[in-house]
Amino acid sequence: MLRLRFHGRGGQGAKVASRVLGTAAFYEGYYAQDFPLYGAERRGAPIAAFTRISKEPIMERGVIAEPDIVIVIDETLLDDPLAHPLTGLKEGGVVFINTTHSPAEAKLKYKVTAQAVTLDITKIGLEMLGLPVLSTLAGGVASKIAGLGEDALRKAVEKEASEIITDRGLVLKNVEAARYCFHAVQPIEMKTGEVVHKGSPVIDVPFETAVISSPAINTTGNTPLRKTGNWRVFKPVWNYDICTKCMTCVARCPDGCIAVNEDGFPYTDYDNCKGCMICAEECPVKAIERVREVHAW
Amino acid sequence: MTKEMLTGNAAAAWGVRLAEVDYIPAYPITPQTEIIETLAKWISAGVLDARFVTVDSEHSMITAAGAASATGVRVFTATSSQGLLYGFEMLYAVAGWRVPLVMVNVSRGLSAPITLEPDHNDILAARDSGFLQIHCETCQEVLDSILMAYRLAEDERVLLPVFVNMDGFHLSFTREPVEIPDLEKAKMFLPAYQPRHAFFKASQPMAQGVAVIGGPAYSYFKYQMHLASIKALEVYNEASKEFGKIFGRSHNTIEGYMIDDAEYILVMINSFSTLGKAAIKEARAKDIKAGLLKLRLLRPFPESDIVKAIKGAKAAAVVDQNISVGKGGILHSEIAGAICNQKDKPLLLSFIGGLGGKNISPQEFEFIIDCMVKAADTGEIPAPRLLYTETEWKEMDRLKKMAGKL
Repeated sequence: MLRLRFHGRGGQGAKVASRVLGTAAFYEGYYAQDFPLYGAERRGAPIAAFTRISKEPIMERGVIAEPDIVIVIDETLLDDPLAHPLTGLKEGGVVFINTTHSPAEAKLKYKVTAQAVTLDITKIGLEMLGLPVLSTLAGGVASKIAGLGEDALRKAVEKEASEIITDRGLVLKNVEAARYCFHAVQPIEMKTGEVVHKGSPVIDVPFETAVISSPAINTTGNTPLRKTGNWRVFKPVWNYDICTKCMTCVARCPDGCIAVNEDGFPYTDYDNCKGCMICAEECPVKAIERVREVHAW
Repeated sequence: MTKEMLTGNAAAAWGVRLAEVDYIPAYPITPQTEIIETLAKWISAGVLDARFVTVDSEHSMITAAGAASATGVRVFTATSSQGLLYGFEMLYAVAGWRVPLVMVNVSRGLSAPITLEPDHNDILAARDSGFLQIHCETCQEVLDSILMAYRLAEDERVLLPVFVNMDGFHLSFTREPVEIPDLEKAKMFLPAYQPRHAFFKASQPMAQGVAVIGGPAYSYFKYQMHLASIKALEVYNEASKEFGKIFGRSHNTIEGYMIDDAEYILVMINSFSTLGKAAIKEARAKDIKAGLLKLRLLRPFPESDIVKAIKGAKAAAVVDQNISVGKGGILHSEIAGAICNQKDKPLLLSFIGGLGGKNISPQEFEFIIDCMVKAADTGEIPAPRLLYTETEWKEMDRLKKMAGKL
């Protein structure tokens, strides 16, 4: 059985990517299963999705702890203590990272020991779809690494994209983008074995009083420690020559990231600005530029 | 017939579509919402001819479902977890009205602490309501069970509402290949509903769901519900046979996996049964005669089928994905009740696992089977046990430290 795990942020397309792969495998006559895992739905939060592909009926459910292939749709998750995308990746397995780095650079930067494949699919998405939505592109990459055929991929993208997109032209663009990514990735040999269960022993759970065992948190909040700036694909950059200090951007920022400097000009907190670009949309004099950003930090 | 990758939720929606339901009162809740979203989309696209009504709560939703069913139309609704509990009062009411609606519950652990992943305390809280309960392991079972549920509910020997249960996330959001039957075949199995006891017609006034004062009348109505539920066992078996004839696959009250010669039996329910079956396969590879008994129909309780299935085994272990706080596993008690007067009964062990969707690892299943083998060898039955691993305990310790508890 081949087990794939996708890591992305809510809204990027990890779930649909896992479905494109599942459907492609199903069209090729395999048993397939796909499954997303996210908590309370939130755009930008780390999510994972899973696809199992097998010649035999699949007798597993739920999360994949030991994947053969990991698809990282957002490379900033590699530094995220909650997402930890590389956990459990099998020896001889493959990790794909959506990045501008080469495989060698990515391996060094993120301390990857597995075989690495890289491609800047965000750039491809922006060029071919006009959007940083990466579901079908990641599906194309995953299909190639999983050894599936182009025909099954094309049919799968058409089916899955049609479920969520009404614009026929955009569906076809997704098919093209997925095929482009499929061809941009070299075939790669997987050297993983079957799962060896390194399970942990069952223990007796001892009694603890409600002082400890009630679901209450005694420590003060740590939300400020969690920076959200690395969610960005674009960052807003102000041109103070045009800015009229009208404060529309300050009022419209949904995260309260925009403040005013000593000269009365707005500026944003890049540690936490998620790059939604509502400020640029709303600016009446178009003084805010969208700048593509890679590796925010 | 087509075969497609469907989630449990989409499979449920397909079952409803093929049942040609008339009325759907709806209120959203994770992880059920995809069902009503899919139905709403189909109604809007004109491929499903039904009335869709959004209401202000699950309490109103179940009331609307019961009331609509009492007018003689085919009704579907769905909820999960907190929503089921919020509408709880009306479960008993509509069951008492003897209206044959079908409701999907997508199992999710109950608050507090609030969570999203599955266990069965929600649906088992509704165990005594009068609703029949069908529990599903696969997405195919979800679709098929909805058709079977209407057959069962609308049969004049039954006339009780039916729950179809599936696990949140592990089934509701999991896609696997599902056969979608043709509408003609679905109609052969499930003809249009012809109500004879509950309908509203201007020419024939009636009062439904009346009040009674006095125990004899109350006892009469309650006990008749019970007799109808027991009758549903026979109706279920008939429906299951006919389903098999029409669709070429059938779903009995229980399912045995490698159980015929099994000496050690896991008793499970819903989607985690798949994991149990994998563990049985592994045990067989090590020459341990293990098998699995999956419960599908929980109400009415198929007692004689269960007794027959586990009779002669050395030990059986019930894996409860629920906890009756202060007692333990609910299904363990039910199975114990079923076998207590039997002569050739297995030793019965109790495990609680998968609460809030916690994984049950192959090693934990090995542990259970090992406990059964030891119990059979020594005659000593271990205390009921929560399945929890050392790694999980260490992670919990880390979280407790982070929360300032240690």
